[in-house]
Amino acid sequence: MVPFRLPAAPRALAAALALLALPFLLTVARAHEGHDHGAPQAPVSKTIAPRGEAASAVFELVAIPRGDVLVLWLDRFATGEPITDATLEVETPAGPATAEAAADGSYRLSAPWLATRDPGQDHLDLVVTVTAGTDVDVLSLAVALAPAEGGKAAAPAPAGHPAHAGHDDEGWVQALGERLTEKLAARDPGAGLFAAGGFVLGLAAMALMRAGRRAPVLAVLVLAATLVLGATAFAHDGDHPETRTALVPPAADLAQRLADGAVFVPKPTQRLLSLRTQVAAEGAFRRTIALPGRIIPDPNASGVVQSSVGGRLAPPPSGTFPRLGTRVRTGEVLALVTPPVQRVDLSDMRQRQGELDQQIAIVQRRVERYLKLSPGGAVSQVQLDEAQDELKGLKDRRTALDRIRQEPEVLVAPVGGVIAEAAAVAGQMAAPGQMVFQIVDPQRLWVEALSFDALTPAADATARMADGRTLPLAYQGAGLADRNQAIPVQFAIEGGSQGLRVGQFVTVLAATDAERHGLALPRASVVRTANGQDVVYAHSAAERYEAKPVRIAPLDGTRVLVEAGIVPGTRVVVQGAELLDQVR
Amino acid sequence: MLIRRFLTAGTLAVALPFCAHHACAHEGTGHNGGRIADAGPYHIELVTRDRRVEVTIYDAKEKAVAPAGFKGTAILVVGGKPARVVLAPSGAGLAGEAEVALGASPKGVVQITGPDGAAASGKFN
Repeated sequence: MVPFRLPAAPRALAAALALLALPFLLTVARAHEGHDHGAPQAPVSKTIAPRGEAASAVFELVAIPRGDVLVLWLDRFATGEPITDATLEVETPAGPATAEAAADGSYRLSAPWLATRDPGQDHLDLVVTVTAGTDVDVLSLAVALAPAEGGKAAAPAPAGHPAHAGHDDEGWVQALGERLTEKLAARDPGAGLFAAGGFVLGLAAMALMRAGRRAPVLAVLVLAATLVLGATAFAHDGDHPETRTALVPPAADLAQRLADGAVFVPKPTQRLLSLRTQVAAEGAFRRTIALPGRIIPDPNASGVVQSSVGGRLAPPPSGTFPRLGTRVRTGEVLALVTPPVQRVDLSDMRQRQGELDQQIAIVQRRVERYLKLSPGGAVSQVQLDEAQDELKGLKDRRTALDRIRQEPEVLVAPVGGVIAEAAAVAGQMAAPGQMVFQIVDPQRLWVEALSFDALTPAADATARMADGRTLPLAYQGAGLADRNQAIPVQFAIEGGSQGLRVGQFVTVLAATDAERHGLALPRASVVRTANGQDVVYAHSAAERYEAKPVRIAPLDGTRVLVEAGIVPGTRVVVQGAELLDQVR
Repeated sequence: MLIRRFLTAGTLAVALPFCAHHACAHEGTGHNGGRIADAGPYHIELVTRDRRVEVTIYDAKEKAVAPAGFKGTAILVVGGKPARVVLAPSGAGLAGEAEVALGASPKGVVQITGPDGAAASGKFN
C-alpha cells in the first residue's frame, strides 16, 4: 500500500518537472562521456610491448619504453614518411631532456626514471616538442607502462582525492563486471560451474526451508559461503606474478593481424616495408575507357627502303650494310642493287656493241678524210660538222652501253632515324618492290587504338604498358572506316618514348565526357584479398592498419576511383599495401 | 486532461534542447574566459594574457581544485617557436611568465603534475 497516493493532476505535473530536471541531472553524468581521462589505450595484443602514441596534423609519434630507454619513432602524419633529422625535446618527470637520433631512424631518450617510478603507475604522461625544419608542434603523449614486477598491477587511487572520489564507488562494480565478462569470454569452465552450483544450492535451501528444517538450511548456507570465498580466491589467480611472467612481451614487436581483423605493424617494420599513405580527397573526375592499342611509327617520321629493280644486293661504298639500331641520316646510302644481265640480253648487247664499233670506225675514217679535204674546199664545212657530230653520238651510245652493264641502283634513306628492320644480305637477289630496310624515328612514335565509341578530339589519354608504365598521349585523329567493328584512333606519344618498340601492345585509357565523383587513389593502394574483394588499408592509428572493402572503378593509367567504402580524410596506404596484406 | 498532456509535451519540448546542449560538454570557454581541455582526471582552463600564463584546474564535476601540491609546464608554440613556461601555484590556479609575448590563443600542451606525482596533460589547438 502506497502511503501517499497522488491525485492525477499533481502526478502529471510532477512527471513534467522531473522531465525538466532530467537534463540538469544528466550534465553530471554526461560530462565524462567520450574520453577516458588520459589513460592510454590498452595494448592491442599480449605479445606487443606497451607503448604510447600521439599525432597532430603534421607529425605522428610512437614511444616504446625499453628497459631504461624510451624509443621514439617520428613520422609525417599525412604521408607516413619517416623524419630522422628532427629535434625532440621531452618533458620527463626528471625535467626537460632531448632525445638523440639513433642509426635505425628512431630517437632514444635515456629514461632512468622508468625504473624508479611508482609501481602503481600504469601510464606515463609526457609532452614532446618536435621541431622538424619549419614545422614545430607540441604533442601530448601518454605511454602505457608494463606492470612492475613483484608489485601489484594497479594500486588503488588515493581515496581522499577529490577528482577520484566520484569514480571510486563505481569502480568496483565495473571491475567485477569486467572480470566476469573476461572469464566468460575466455570460456572458463569455473565461472559456469560456479553459477550452476549456486543455482543448485539455492534450490536445495528453498526446498529445505519449505520442509521447515532449520539446521540443514544453515549447513547449505555455510557451504555456499565457503564456495563464494573459494571462488573469490580463484578469481585472483590470474594476478600472480608467476603467471604474468609468461606474458612478458618479447624484445621486438612483430607485425600481426589482430583478432578484430586490423593489422598491427610496428614502426621498424613500417620503415622496412616503406609504407606510405595519402589522405584521400573527394573530387570530380572524368571517366576513362580502356582501348586495346599498339605502338606504330609516326607516318611522317618513318620510311621504308625498297629496291625499284630486281638485282643483286651489295653493301654501300662504306663496305657494310647498316645494322639494326644504326642511326641514319636522310639521303644516306644504305645499299646498292646491281640488276643482273640475262644471257639473251648479253648477246644482244654484244651484237649492238660490235655494230657500234664498226660504225665508229667508218665514221672516224670519214671525219679524218673530210678534215684533209675541207681546207681545199672539196668538202663543205657542213659535211665535216655532221660527220663529227655523228661520231660523237656513236661514241656516247657505246659508253652508255658499257655503263648500263656496270652501274647499280643506289638505295638511300628517305628519312632520318634508326634502322628498325633490315633484310639485306650481301649477294642476295632483291625483288622489285621488296622492303630492304625500315627506318623509324624512336622519338616520334604513335599509338593506334581500336575504339568502339567515337572519342572527342580534345580528350586526353594515357597508355598503360604491360610492365605498369604509363605514357601520356595526344589525340591525332580517328578513321571512319570500320576495322573489326571498331574505328582506329591514333595518338601521338608525348614525352619520352624510350624503351618502346613498334608493334608493342598497350592499353589506351581515354577520357570520356562523363564526370564521376569519388576518391582518386593510386592503383597500387588497392589490394585484392583471397575472397576476391578489393580492399584498401586505412592507417587508423600510428601502428594500426584496417582493411576497408571498397568499390572501385578504373580512372586512368595510375589511379583508380573509389566510389564507396572510405570517407574523405582517411589515410590510405598507397605504397606497400600488397606487403601489408601478407601480414598474418 | 488534454491541457495537462499539452503541458507535459511542452515541457518535454523545452527540455530536449537542453539535453542536446549539454551533450557537448567540453566545448566553449571556461569560467575565466579561457580554453578548456581534458588532462587526465582533470579539466584545465588555459588563459594567456600578454606574457602571463594562467591555468585553472577543475575536477570531473567542473569544480575548481586547490592548486596546492600541483606543479606544471606549459609548452606553447608562438611564431613557429616553442615557448616553455614553468607553472607554480598562484592564487586559485597555476601561473607562470613566458619570455615572449604569447598571442591570444597559442596552441600547445599544458602538463600538470598532481600531489600524487602523476602527470597529465591537456592539448590546446
